Amino acid sequence: MPEVFASDGVARQLDECTYCPKMCRFSCPVSEASGREQYTPQAKMDRLNQLRRGHIPWTEKTSDPLYACTGCRQCTTQCMHGNEPGLVLLAGRAAANARSAGHPALAGYPERFRSREQRLVDILREHLPAERFEDSAPVGFWPGCDAIDKGLSDIDAALRLFDRAGATEVKVVAGGQACAGYPLLAAGLVDMFRWQATRVAAALRPYRTVVINCSACVYTLRAQYPAEGVALSSEILSLAEYLDRLEKQLQESAPSCALRSVYYHDPCYLARYAGVVDEPRRVLSRMVEVRELAGSRTDTECCGGAGLLPKTMPEVADAMARARLRQVAARGGGTVVTSCATCAFMLKRNAPSGVIVQDLAAMVAGEPGRSGPG
Amino acid sequence: MGERRLSQRESDLASYGRDMWPRLLIGIRAGELPPDRPHVVVWPESEREVAAIVRVARDLRVPIVPYGGGSGVCGGAVPILGGITVDLKRMNELSSVDRDEMVCDVQAGMNGERFERALNRRGYTLGHFPSSIYCSTVGGWLACRAAGQMSTKYGKIEDRVAGLTVVTGRGDVVHTDGPIRAERGPNWTQLLLGSEGTLGIITSARLRVAPTPELRVLRGFELESVAHGVEAIRRVMQRGLRPAVVRLYDELDTFINHSSILGGKKSARSHGGPADHMFAPVPLPAQGALPHIPPREHAAPAPDGLVGRALGLFGGGDTARRLASRLRREAVSAALSRPRLVNSLATPLAERVSRHGCRLIVGLEGSRIRTGVEASLVFDELERAGATDQGEEPGREWFERRYAVSYKMSPTFRAGLFVDTMEVASTWERLMDLYRAVKHAIAQHAVVMAHFSHAYPEGCSIYFTFVARSEPVRDAQRAYDAIWRDGLAAASRAGGTISHHHGIGMLKGQAMAAEHREAMTLLRGLKATLDPDGILNPGKLGLPASIEPAPPDEVTAP
Amino acid sequence: MSALAAGLAGDLGGALEAIVGPLNVRRPPPALARRFAAEGAAPGGEPAHLVQPGSPSEVAEILLLAGRTGAAVIPVGNGTRAAPAQRNPGALIGRPRVFVDSRRMCHVLHLDETSLVVHVQAGLTALALERIVAPRGLSLGDFPPQVLGSTIGGLLSVRTPGKSSPRHGFIEEAVLGVSAVLADGRTVHTRVAPRRASGPDLARALCGSEGTLGFLTAAVLRLYRRPEARFLAAHALPSFEDALAAVRLALREEAAPAALRVYDAAEARAHLGDEVCPPGRDEQAILVVATAGPTDLAACDRDLVASAAAAMGGTQLDEKLAEVWWRRRTGQERGSTLPVPMIQVTASPKRQPAVYRAVRVACAGLGVGLRAHASRFEADGAVLFFTLMDGAGQALAGEPLEAARAMTEAAASAAGAVLLGSENHDLDPYARDLRRGLDPKGILNPGL
Repeated sequence: MPEVFASDGVARQLDECTYCPKMCRFSCPVSEASGREQYTPQAKMDRLNQLRRGHIPWTEKTSDPLYACTGCRQCTTQCMHGNEPGLVLLAGRAAANARSAGHPALAGYPERFRSREQRLVDILREHLPAERFEDSAPVGFWPGCDAIDKGLSDIDAALRLFDRAGATEVKVVAGGQACAGYPLLAAGLVDMFRWQATRVAAALRPYRTVVINCSACVYTLRAQYPAEGVALSSEILSLAEYLDRLEKQLQESAPSCALRSVYYHDPCYLARYAGVVDEPRRVLSRMVEVRELAGSRTDTECCGGAGLLPKTMPEVADAMARARLRQVAARGGGTVVTSCATCAFMLKRNAPSGVIVQDLAAMVAGEPGRSGPG
Repeated sequence: MGERRLSQRESDLASYGRDMWPRLLIGIRAGELPPDRPHVVVWPESEREVAAIVRVARDLRVPIVPYGGGSGVCGGAVPILGGITVDLKRMNELSSVDRDEMVCDVQAGMNGERFERALNRRGYTLGHFPSSIYCSTVGGWLACRAAGQMSTKYGKIEDRVAGLTVVTGRGDVVHTDGPIRAERGPNWTQLLLGSEGTLGIITSARLRVAPTPELRVLRGFELESVAHGVEAIRRVMQRGLRPAVVRLYDELDTFINHSSILGGKKSARSHGGPADHMFAPVPLPAQGALPHIPPREHAAPAPDGLVGRALGLFGGGDTARRLASRLRREAVSAALSRPRLVNSLATPLAERVSRHGCRLIVGLEGSRIRTGVEASLVFDELERAGATDQGEEPGREWFERRYAVSYKMSPTFRAGLFVDTMEVASTWERLMDLYRAVKHAIAQHAVVMAHFSHAYPEGCSIYFTFVARSEPVRDAQRAYDAIWRDGLAAASRAGGTISHHHGIGMLKGQAMAAEHREAMTLLRGLKATLDPDGILNPGKLGLPASIEPAPPDEVTAP
Repeated sequence: MSALAAGLAGDLGGALEAIVGPLNVRRPPPALARRFAAEGAAPGGEPAHLVQPGSPSEVAEILLLAGRTGAAVIPVGNGTRAAPAQRNPGALIGRPRVFVDSRRMCHVLHLDETSLVVHVQAGLTALALERIVAPRGLSLGDFPPQVLGSTIGGLLSVRTPGKSSPRHGFIEEAVLGVSAVLADGRTVHTRVAPRRASGPDLARALCGSEGTLGFLTAAVLRLYRRPEARFLAAHALPSFEDALAAVRLALREEAAPAALRVYDAAEARAHLGDEVCPPGRDEQAILVVATAGPTDLAACDRDLVASAAAAMGGTQLDEKLAEVWWRRRTGQERGSTLPVPMIQVTASPKRQPAVYRAVRVACAGLGVGLRAHASRFEADGAVLFFTLMDGAGQALAGEPLEAARAMTEAAASAAGAVLLGSENHDLDPYARDLRRGLDPKGILNPGL
């Protein structure tokens, strides 16, 4: 059992954080954006340690720090012990739920999730022509819930790209689900996650390859489904990896790009969970020069959109997105491309003037960029 | 101030009740959470707001404790009388770097590592690398007179300050020095530096930067003994050479950390550096998507150990196997309850078994041509003083793991031990006496080793690291207090200073009288002038608290 | 008669004699008395004595006596520094003055050759100290001789203006600790250590405050070994601006010269002789440099400066020229006595050329002659010294000087220079309050 998941390993991690001088704090975007001691990884893990040891009672108030995390793993990459606060704190949230001490902003989340699912499925069905959908195909396209909710035009762009590349084998996954379940884990609802996973897995089974544009769900599908006993036989690819595969076809039909250069923002779940950092750059650099932001690749800085932070601590989440783009404004503005619907949404929403944010598919499809929620 | 920037939430108040003072960790391990907490935490975003907060505090006669990274090891940020904790971390901008004058303006709440990286991106460095750089703020450095590992070249923080902006205890915003260097009157910059929040709240500073070095040279040497090493360093410094870093480890420190017998060299590597954790781990099928939170009573087993292994927590605790037998643990515990015995055995053991003397690490950095010339001269001088060249590798290794020491706190505390450090300094003439006197005083209660660093032409600093049992908790706290009382008294008697760069806080307050003697009159005079109502960080820096603890009801949001 | 009885009897002089002995109490020299009587106080009337204590305990007794009798204590050293303007002359009215001359307290208390640290009494002049330590191959540092004429106490009573030297910094940075007597007669010794983190640096309260917080009686100072090698060099550069640029280049390479000076042509002729800049080379500048230290390092610094000069179009001149400069600088030889430059400003590297040009333009407009040199270089700037002359080549004085000074200082400031002697007043109320706290009777240098 990978040690960080086992009871012993978690006890070690919690203790190590408790006695640590907060060596990773400078890298935690939640802590930096809020300036709160309690939101440093050390203090969050220490809080969980005191809770599980019974030194502090489990209440809504005491469990609050467990939710001040997007799971971005920036802390882990700095930590010489290799601790994983991102994953451990999610387990803490599950423990809080079990003791009715969950975050007030997530009250009734199971119901809200279900109704959101239904709403998003309906939106997608209405938005796309029926021919796009297919129960089974060589390649299934799964846009991800945030894309349906906030980035329909980016979904259109992706489909246009597939058309352009002649990838007729790509069909949008039909089925009654929009979300692969990451938000449920982020809410600490493990049982419900398992239930959702079973349904999603069933819908995905007929596809040989599944292309998914949600960065968190790439890891969720690859690693967390099997961990909950839900087997997936399909190959799981992020959209960036798939577009990289379509290199030749896309190259032949590439429109020219008006921009001289763009920045690329690595979604933290692609960079530090799935290890996808080169593919999006290859895809982009075939049409435009890619410049690096300070804090890029496995050093990328979180946009604030994960971990349900926009629901539990919306101001902090927005502050994180603003902090991420500050350097672009300081350099005189520019275009930032990212490969995740959640990142695109958070960054667009908080972009300072002169900074344009675009989804990878939209960029490659030659869409004009604009800021503001898509 | 608005709700966003003020909090009376329980979890916030708890987190501001402590810094990294090891005495607090001893209590925490035993389940005693730090008792002191502020009544309210505020996050100002401008000097004007800080000044307004001070004025409110004066009116209400309520204490204020400024808070940066909370990485201090002396309890300086603990709000012993409650009150308002002013967290500076939302004032965290680097506003400008002036290429012409090689200075920058930076706000006090900026994190050290982020500051250094922001400077690096522009081609500069502050040259200030404390082992707490990841978790401390610029304001904290200034308030405590911090030192970085390369202070021998770049100076301590107080050597790099061109001016400060401070909110005094009267609520005035004042600028010391700045573009115009004051020629008359006391040097207010140097009087506010090191005041640990008792004379004013530093809100920003003008610091001198240097270009990032073109060349860095690192090397290791070996010397017969501490005395030989100290002499070698003195000769280098007094020849007019200025390496960036010189570190001499005494025999025990060399044995534990730098010899291969306990796997000292390799073990730190084999547990893996951060690079090993770049990508998320994958749970095994059916083990569960999320980690398993251990139940209430579950305590992680400590790494196993011989006496040497226990001490080897400093070098390789994380490679120790997870399973520890209770018997071995008790052996460690028993050994550490006889520190004098351990100390007296360990050093000769170290000398005999390892046949190593003392390791010396030296490094230089700066402009390419001159640094190369200076490096040759330094190495020549060391060899003439009897040092044996061990090549580049020990120097490189030290450099790559130079912040790793902070990661050793956790395994030590988990294993039922506490670790702390005492850093003193003196002129060369008194240095060996200082070393022996302080080491002897600490050795009565703990296993102790030392290294010498932060060298000057006229003297040097000594950094003692000591370990002892942290349970039962009362015994441990008594031993802890005795170590500090006796160690600092020995330092003062030997003519050294009680702190070179960690500061005073609460821990060393009682030793201030011996340190400054009649000159405390000047400190008290400064306090009366800059903070007449006694609201700024009362009870620290050896100054008496003249204010009552804040009554909870009166502290309301303005 | 005991001091107490004498004091009570109102016989201040007698009381002082009882403390230090009759030989060490005198009438103050007229110039001194005038200086402290000139500002609004009626001359004559108040008794004034010049007293020379031989130990800190005598100083303590004098201060206690002053406290009882309401006398004002005014420290005097070697008289080498121009008296600062009295900010508060009214505080002296009606009070007896006791001028305390520290020059009998002139012993070296301890020379620690292991640590290269010396403990000296404040009345010793820096020059005398240099003479004492020189046979052991030691020195206070690369400070010019005019600075060394003061007593140690005098040097530390104010802060050095402007920039420092790359190797040894300001003289107050040589201080590791001080001893002083407070107004209430207690003696304080600040903790001696290379560096500390035990609170504010209390020695920095006493240094620079002109005796208003405490009377300095001793100091612990760093010393430096005589360097293994010293190299002197002189370079001619096409212009003053090029010479400044060359210095900047060399400092960026971390060259750490012992002394470095840039002369414009007129100044070079005045200091080094007419032949150094032949007629027709009026735009030329001369750069003289001394590098010192371990041989290889001093040579490296010398070469870094030479390369920088060459890069800016310079040519190396005969070393003898630099020797002339160096001998005069270290007081081994007296050049013709030149007037002290009237305009002294600091400017950052980028602004130095503009400041020089602005001053030249202003002087040309006024019909006034100008000589300039730059020294005390640091990474963040240097001090520019300007001497104004009339048509006959004599230094300006009196009315014409003041008129010219106003215009040229304005021009320099407009170009970004900072006048030496500028002050920051943010903390003045705190300084006053601190004084009141430590010296409630206002006996220590109250006129300041």
